[in-house]
Amino acid sequence: MANTGWDEFEIGAMLRTFEGEAGDIAGTLQEDRKYTENSSFSASVADWRIEKPIFAKDYCIDCQFCWIYCPDMSIISRDKKMIGIDMDHCKGCGICVEVCPTNPKSLLMFPEQADEEAELAQWPAKETKEK
Amino acid sequence: MSEMKKIKNLKEFSTSADRFEGANLLCPGCAHSIIVREVLNATNDDLILSASTGCLEVCTAVYPYTSWDASWIHIGFENGSTAVAGAEAMYKALKTKKRLKQPDRNPKFVSFAGDGASYDIGFQWISGCMERGHNMMHVVLDNEVYANTGGQRSSSTPIGSSATTSPAGRVSYGEKKNKKDMVAIMASHGIPYSAQVAPNKWKDMVKKIQHGMEVDGPVFINAVSPCTTEWKFDPKDTMLLTDLSTDSLVFPLYEIIDGHELNITYRPKEKDIVPVEEYLAAQGRFKHLFKDQYKYLIKEWQERVDANWAYLNRREEARV
Repeated sequence: MANTGWDEFEIGAMLRTFEGEAGDIAGTLQEDRKYTENSSFSASVADWRIEKPIFAKDYCIDCQFCWIYCPDMSIISRDKKMIGIDMDHCKGCGICVEVCPTNPKSLLMFPEQADEEAELAQWPAKETKEK
Repeated sequence: MSEMKKIKNLKEFSTSADRFEGANLLCPGCAHSIIVREVLNATNDDLILSASTGCLEVCTAVYPYTSWDASWIHIGFENGSTAVAGAEAMYKALKTKKRLKQPDRNPKFVSFAGDGASYDIGFQWISGCMERGHNMMHVVLDNEVYANTGGQRSSSTPIGSSATTSPAGRVSYGEKKNKKDMVAIMASHGIPYSAQVAPNKWKDMVKKIQHGMEVDGPVFINAVSPCTTEWKFDPKDTMLLTDLSTDSLVFPLYEIIDGHELNITYRPKEKDIVPVEEYLAAQGRFKHLFKDQYKYLIKEWQERVDANWAYLNRREEARV
């Protein structure tokens, strides 16, 4: 598929996202779906990133703001809990960090090459408001 | 009619399984996919979708990939809405003839289009769909410019905005025509529901989308979609810009029922209303308005927004 040129296909090409019967997609989580190689889910845009978000679970209050406002479906929420970031599809826009309401923020942007564990170890402390 | 999906709060909403996939080629921080997700996640029913040519279409269907987990079609720039209307007409016909293979499923018909494909190029087609009374929803992702082809002006581009075909410079302050009021135009077709939504007010948005899917007849939704590339702001500020646009009342959120009954659905408190100047200052496309010779335009902007807000309030009060 990847080696086929655009002019080698008939007009009105049809792409199938799932293997076999699609069934109830709205009731099936992504990990349970059978994607074909035509779904962009099987592709990656990780190389677009200059900065990456790092998630500090300890401070997260599961408000799901990052989930709803993520433009790339990269915040993984299961059973009303935010469990991590899908690094294949994250483009590093930084919206999740901006909308995070906790203090200190549970998501912060770091350069792509930053080491996650080292950054988590020196996570910024709670900011106190000056009166 | 199938049961409406119950969405009480964001936690409950977050259990939705997305039917729009990542690794599409939309810019980082693009509001288009935030809007699309909120629309698609508002229902659990099957979806029959189309997209007119525009950012959303070229970025989500890059051969050999597709980002859609539902039936989706692209034909041309102008006829995304009629493609869905045609599918809807066929569905109705097969239903009456009892030839549907799965008659208990209750698909929803939604067409997505940018402001170029709705306000200008596809205008006649959308108007036709609204007039013929198809049971469908048309969602405009209004980023006020032809962002896909390099930032040409559309009839949605507001006064003072610098677009590539109406650039700001020594002799001009950019776009000179005011944005056309598409929601009012579509409402005057007498359609059961038309509304303006913003992705930051997700609850308001989901409520409107669900109502739109429930009613029988054509529905028009205009969604503000800040464009990081053409509005010229940092990708991380997309939600900030959406907040500014709703709180400065540049994009008031309201709905029009049956073409006449107007309800304002988001009314910021007096102290929370942001001056339009702040909304303009956050975007690079209005940068030149802050030069001394064009400052009068900012005042005019504020007056225009205030007048529009007063007009909407009067309409809501008068129920006309």
